[in-house]
Amino acid sequence: MGAREGGPPEGLLVVGVDIGNSTTEASLAVVAPDGSITHLGTDLTRTTGVKGTPENTEGALKAIRGALARAGRSAGEVETVLLNEATPVISGLAMETITETIITESTMIGHNPTTPGGEGLGVGTTRSIGELREQPPGEPVVCVVPPGWDFDDAAAALNAAVADGVDVVAAILAGDDAVLVTNRLTRPIPVVDEVSAVEKVPLGMLAAVEVAAPGRTIRTLSNSYGLATVFGLDPTQTRQVSPVARALTGNRSAVVVRTPSGDVTDRRIPVGELVLRGAGKTLRVDVDAGAEAIMEVVGRAQPLDDAHGEPGTHVGGMLAQVRDTMADVMDIAGQPDVPVSEIAIRDVLAVDTFVPAEVRGGLAGEVALENAVALAAMVRTSRSRMQLVADLVSEGLGAAAEIGGVEGEMAVGGALTTPGVDRPVAVLDLGGGSTDAALLTREGECTAVHVAGAGELVTKLIDSELALGDREVAEGVKWFPLGKVESFFHLRHEDGTVEFVDEPLPPHVFARVVVLTPDGPAPVPTRHGLDHVRRVRREAKRRVFVVNALRALRQVAPGGNLRALEFVVLLGGSALDFEIPDMIADALAPHGIVCGTGNVLGTEGPRNAVASGLVRAHAALLAEQARCPTG
Amino acid sequence: MSTPTAERTVSLREVGPARRGTRPDEVVIALSPAFAGHFSKTIVDVPHAEVLRQLMAGIEEQGVTARLVRVLDTADLAAMSHAAAKMSGSGISVGVLSRGTTMIHQKDLPRLSNLELFPQSPLLDAPVFRMIGSNAAQYAKGESPQPVPTRNDQMARPRWQAKAALLHLKEFDCIEAGRGPVEVEAVFGPGTAG
Repeated sequence: MGAREGGPPEGLLVVGVDIGNSTTEASLAVVAPDGSITHLGTDLTRTTGVKGTPENTEGALKAIRGALARAGRSAGEVETVLLNEATPVISGLAMETITETIITESTMIGHNPTTPGGEGLGVGTTRSIGELREQPPGEPVVCVVPPGWDFDDAAAALNAAVADGVDVVAAILAGDDAVLVTNRLTRPIPVVDEVSAVEKVPLGMLAAVEVAAPGRTIRTLSNSYGLATVFGLDPTQTRQVSPVARALTGNRSAVVVRTPSGDVTDRRIPVGELVLRGAGKTLRVDVDAGAEAIMEVVGRAQPLDDAHGEPGTHVGGMLAQVRDTMADVMDIAGQPDVPVSEIAIRDVLAVDTFVPAEVRGGLAGEVALENAVALAAMVRTSRSRMQLVADLVSEGLGAAAEIGGVEGEMAVGGALTTPGVDRPVAVLDLGGGSTDAALLTREGECTAVHVAGAGELVTKLIDSELALGDREVAEGVKWFPLGKVESFFHLRHEDGTVEFVDEPLPPHVFARVVVLTPDGPAPVPTRHGLDHVRRVRREAKRRVFVVNALRALRQVAPGGNLRALEFVVLLGGSALDFEIPDMIADALAPHGIVCGTGNVLGTEGPRNAVASGLVRAHAALLAEQARCPTG
Repeated sequence: MSTPTAERTVSLREVGPARRGTRPDEVVIALSPAFAGHFSKTIVDVPHAEVLRQLMAGIEEQGVTARLVRVLDTADLAAMSHAAAKMSGSGISVGVLSRGTTMIHQKDLPRLSNLELFPQSPLLDAPVFRMIGSNAAQYAKGESPQPVPTRNDQMARPRWQAKAALLHLKEFDCIEAGRGPVEVEAVFGPGTAG
């Protein structure tokens, strides 16, 4: 790269500055009159304000000064500052549940308490513990114990009733007492506990209680024909109770009460239609059809001109919310507001997800995993104000500042400095809000696309699927590998290896699933095991980044054919992730593509591509002018 | 709905010097010198019988066994609990003072640390003791229980400090210096025995 031996390099000092959604990067270099470049240093800082607004100036100046300080240069020596033309892309997210489980007439208890008591199946009439004696001897009874009963007293009452000839076959408890009560019974019965709304259990009805052995799941109540056998149902009734059986699969314990019209329904919530306009067509798709159907329609409407939701429906609300947010972002003080109707949604990514939600009509706070669809939408704006930022930077630094080039093209230029890369090269910029792809052909033509959905969407999926309710924790789960603290002196990593530590681990992480941050382990507040958290994390990344990588590359690849691509370089913050680059490389491998994380300038990793590309483009321009000064 | 029986009582019967346990499915409960002896209820009149029943019930519900140890030579909660943790086959212990202050300890921790501490004795009632027992047992099983929500009352300190100090002094009077911990059995009465 034209580094010369001895003495400082001669030429003009230029700084390339890339203002991104979350970070601002600077690349300082000396450009000789012949166009050769000597890189002096880089710097990185947090972007101030929303990308493309005058607030960016502060961060840009900080990054420039940082790079200058590292190279031991002063601001007065700078000839030109080059800024990127920010791709006018903003993205937004929304999520909507599309199914709902409802239990009517308190038919079923399927909340899976951690410690049910006893084992087996008991079928009888439901009666409160105070009225056990009213049951005629010989007729089986399921005892319902309301809150406030002590386990010793409940066990004594049950034992006394059994001694008097009452045929108690099972019990349903309000408190967490099942093991305690069964341990004190003279005749063992299955007991289901922690039924918080036990008073709603219909009394005098036929009910079945089943508890499986530890480590097993129930077999009778989760089987439609098992229910038919227990309750003597005819084929029509069996068809009606099959949702009950399905809702109970995988549980260790369950209660089913036979009521005249009790039911469990898995209702699809009408979410509304998504209207996509593009490629001269207007296509409609029901959002509750799921992500696959939506993405298929989005694919047919490429390039997308705009997307709308049916007014008055959930999807209408979702897209309106995205549009409103964007209008706020784009509003400029002193200028008329951007009309919401002018904001066109240029890409949509739909992802199937699930949300743990409390079952309506449940007696014990049962939680069902409801299906949901997450939508990421991307908007193009026409109001980038980078020129204003350039003017302010120029003023602040006392050097000329100009717009050096468009982001996508500059990123390809920077990516080409990665050792081992050649044209044709495609870059994938894995950012926070959008995934961008750009292709530079052998002939030097550059095309760029932006698709909706990136790191932010992954965080949101992790947050909702694990019911964390804390974005910071979800970010941690996304960024760092997991482990389980097994004692104060060792933890097991997610790949099963054990690491011993010299200093005892802090008590607040004891026995917990943790994320291994550089500052030490941080607990993940979840009931789920390590394997489940890991699966959710990887699935969220796959559904967003792998899907988007393929989608974006197909849009830039000649003829949509991935085989026509040779080198793919991954850039951006999410390319630093410990598993996303591998996942994308795995997905691209069958197409014969060389794919890897970029290493800009051979030292910067996937960072600084745009800033370095700006310097390269500027150097090429200078060399061109040197050859033909008039042109 | 209330429990239909009279108030339960408890007495502790010594069965010999406390030993180190080997069963990984046990939690040791360390009782202070005056627990269920000189005193019979906590600072807010929760009977010691109920404290012990609920702690043991929480442990039993999780399928873990409880072993009781009376500490005689100290009334320092951290020291008692840590000594008990070292005797526990699972390495987990629960320490309780007569006035109700409770902690969950683990043998590998420094003595003055803990897994969970419930410092405000006036705020501990029977359901809290049940949850403490349950959590201790879950730690013994290697599970990840959510910590028992600790209540906090700004007025607890000014309101109860004098009584707590008196109870503490009395508890100190019951210390028998130089006597090692003894294993005890709980004998509950007169309610409908379990």
